[in-house]
Amino acid sequence: MGLSRREFIKRTAALTAASCAGVSLTLPQAEEAQAFDADEWVRGSCRLCGVGCRVELGVKNGRPVALRGVPDSKTNFGYLCMKGMLFYKLMGHPDRLTKPLYRKSKKDKFKEISWDEALDIAAREFAKAVKTHGSDSVAYYGSGQALTEETYLFQKVMRGGLRTNNVEGNPRLCMASAVGGYLTSFGADEPIGSYADIEQATCFFLIGSNMAEAHPVLFRRVMRRKLDNKDAVKVINADPRISPTSRVADLHLQFEPGTDLALLNAMAYVIIEEGLYDEKFIGQYTTFRMGKKEEVSFEEYRSFLRDYTPERAAAICKGNITPDKIRTAARWFAKSNATMSMWTMGINQRKRGVWANNLIHNLHIITGQLMKPGADSFSLTGQPNACGGVREGGGLCHILPGHRLVKKDKLRHQVEDLWGIPRGRIPAKPGYHTMAMFTAVNQGKIKAIWINCTSPAQSLPNADLYRKGMAREDLFMVVTDIFPTKTTELANLVLPTAFHFEKTGVYGCTERRSQLTWKAVDPPGEAKPEVWIVREWALRLAKELDDPVIAKCVAPFVGKEEQYELPEAIWNEYTQKLTKGRDNDLRGATYRVLRQRPDGVQWPAPTEEWALKGGTYKKFVRGMDPLADEHAKDEKPYQFYGPAHPDKKLWIWLRPHKGPEEMPDAEFPFYLSTGRVIDQWHTASMTGRIPELMRANPYAYVEVNPRDAKRLGISPGDMILVESRRGRNLLPAKVYEGPVEGMVFVYWYDQHEDRLINRVTKDAFDPGSKEPEFKICACRIKRVSGPKVLKPYLASITT
Amino acid sequence: MPIGGFVITVTPSKGQQAVRALSALDGVEVYGSGGDGEVIAVLETGTSKDMERLVDRISAMDFVASVSLAYLNAEDEMLQQ
Ligand code: SF4
Repeated sequence: MGLSRREFIKRTAALTAASCAGVSLTLPQAEEAQAFDADEWVRGSCRLCGVGCRVELGVKNGRPVALRGVPDSKTNFGYLCMKGMLFYKLMGHPDRLTKPLYRKSKKDKFKEISWDEALDIAAREFAKAVKTHGSDSVAYYGSGQALTEETYLFQKVMRGGLRTNNVEGNPRLCMASAVGGYLTSFGADEPIGSYADIEQATCFFLIGSNMAEAHPVLFRRVMRRKLDNKDAVKVINADPRISPTSRVADLHLQFEPGTDLALLNAMAYVIIEEGLYDEKFIGQYTTFRMGKKEEVSFEEYRSFLRDYTPERAAAICKGNITPDKIRTAARWFAKSNATMSMWTMGINQRKRGVWANNLIHNLHIITGQLMKPGADSFSLTGQPNACGGVREGGGLCHILPGHRLVKKDKLRHQVEDLWGIPRGRIPAKPGYHTMAMFTAVNQGKIKAIWINCTSPAQSLPNADLYRKGMAREDLFMVVTDIFPTKTTELANLVLPTAFHFEKTGVYGCTERRSQLTWKAVDPPGEAKPEVWIVREWALRLAKELDDPVIAKCVAPFVGKEEQYELPEAIWNEYTQKLTKGRDNDLRGATYRVLRQRPDGVQWPAPTEEWALKGGTYKKFVRGMDPLADEHAKDEKPYQFYGPAHPDKKLWIWLRPHKGPEEMPDAEFPFYLSTGRVIDQWHTASMTGRIPELMRANPYAYVEVNPRDAKRLGISPGDMILVESRRGRNLLPAKVYEGPVEGMVFVYWYDQHEDRLINRVTKDAFDPGSKEPEFKICACRIKRVSGPKVLKPYLASITT
Repeated sequence: MPIGGFVITVTPSKGQQAVRALSALDGVEVYGSGGDGEVIAVLETGTSKDMERLVDRISAMDFVASVSLAYLNAEDEMLQQ
């Protein structure tokens, strides 16, 4: 008797899972079971985090019906997390924005309008601002979730067309310090190694990252590596909060927030004093630096570190830190065959985030724990295309596509020439960085802003201050998004966009890997891909401002079909022209190649031949990285050709310990830190609309250490007022051995005004990277009442 | 009625015990396991919400190190939407 349809689907499910785990199942009729469940499987990447898991969307009668991981993909080997598995439910969600919406005044209700009207209004308002107040009165604020083609085209129109470098994006809030760290330590942005190092590492140093919840599929690989090599592999987790990540740790270093610079310097001290450093590597490839131009000696570095003996550092770090723990961590780090560090926002979102990045890199440089298999200093990215789109595609105010600095005349002119626009068209001065941009909004200096695929009204620190600016009646604000958000509440014009798999384009994940997602289903209603929106807007702008150069910026794309041809044409221009000769050379990663590969291509990939093999797994290694061979100056196996270090060496930095901007005091005695929870992502505009995910965490709470709770008479579920010098929240308590004593921790996804924690956080920022110190500020907490029934909340739009 | 294909990673030394405990759960069918503690299970529940609940329950089990998905079919729910 034949199997039932459900039985076939179950077998498909089992076979797919088994193929990921390398378990062989012998099931009758296995062949027939495959391909029974969908008309077509379309390949792409997960929409959510920066891991970049490869997925296939099963489509039936034009609707998404199933999702599966891609077992051949080196990012995830077929595994997905629950968030990743469910994002396709957002296609066809009833809350989707499906029509352009407009209101002249922010006090009015929105009215549905046509695309023609919407694009005319957007063009008229931006043109009016430019004519009346100059080019720098307009701005674009984008996202590490926009496709590379989108970021590239937006910034091209803003810089080349509207003559402003006011181009920013939310990656400024999450990885700008990592960029600063890579550039100043290695001379080139983005990690040297890859995820593949995980399977070869024998020591993991996880600091400032709750990988288990924020990057679950990658964490699975760390966990697998540990389970398979229980004694041989050591895991060190350094974090002020015990999280699910700490579960696999052999050593948990729980320090007080903001003391990590001392900890990292103390580890370096032990490595130097105990002779655990790699003298040959240091001699061949490195220099020591106090400032950019000030070179110092090894002895000076050694004497600088004397301020950070384990005893002194333990006294600064407090928590559970002892001199012995610091010594153990340093020895494991240095002596292991291959050490891999991974970190995220705990390191980056700091007043001294770049320094913290430098000090992790220092540990790798002095021990030579780089370039060899399994060894790397590897910053994890939070968003799926912060690296590919924003870091590489020119999405920040000071960088042009292909890792070019705006302020360098030669590089700016290169871009102008490649775009075929007059030299001098792109201003020489970088634009406003994110915090300066929203300060300028507050001051009324910016008159028109385009916000794409992100929600600064919720995600900026000290949010109330900046929401006031966004609410100004003399600011025209366009928002392109798929759902209503806290930011659409402040917009004049809301434009509905196509979601992932409803359009075509490339995401570049954490490990320099570019992956293509192919359109599989139609967007709902009148939602449109951003690339179409920008092109049509630019053509209207050219007329309004009577400026043919604006039209020139989009001329190569006019007449192209919008779903496949248009993004491909943009990608071709970007990769073939703008990345040629740059360290992120992507010329080989054509759509043709990307479609053939299960997991995209890692740059540098100058030729299709190289790209078809997957590209470059390790940068700077001769024989592995084509650019290392091309730029080789000598016979040494490693060649550091990065654009930021003229001496082509790695720099070991002398960076002193510095605490956070705001320390707890008598009035505000607690540290406040914020972060993610596994089932919610960012501002929850997406995950909050998936009932299965919302159910697990319907609202944010404040985690309080049990000893603090006892002292303050707080029981689980009690309503707690969390207050800082900037704002307050009222949240239920979770009494939990997570945060170190004296610290509270709040999830930042909740959109409810009472629980929107960025009303409380501080907007101090790193002077180098300009990334805000979300992770640390001072607050006080007070029990207000017993438990209350709370409702989940999501922003909506009324028309 | 969603159907999910899962890899449940359990403490390798407790493989047999894990397979027995997982098989005893309503909605869980174990299809096989590897020596390194990877259990292949198919979950079938009334709704995706129930699926999430079941995953939470499995994740909380003592010997379970992680629950990873590889496949999800929710055609009934999606076609109804
Ligand atoms: S780990 Fe990240 S990229 Fe992978 S499935 Fe989960 S959310 Fe998606």
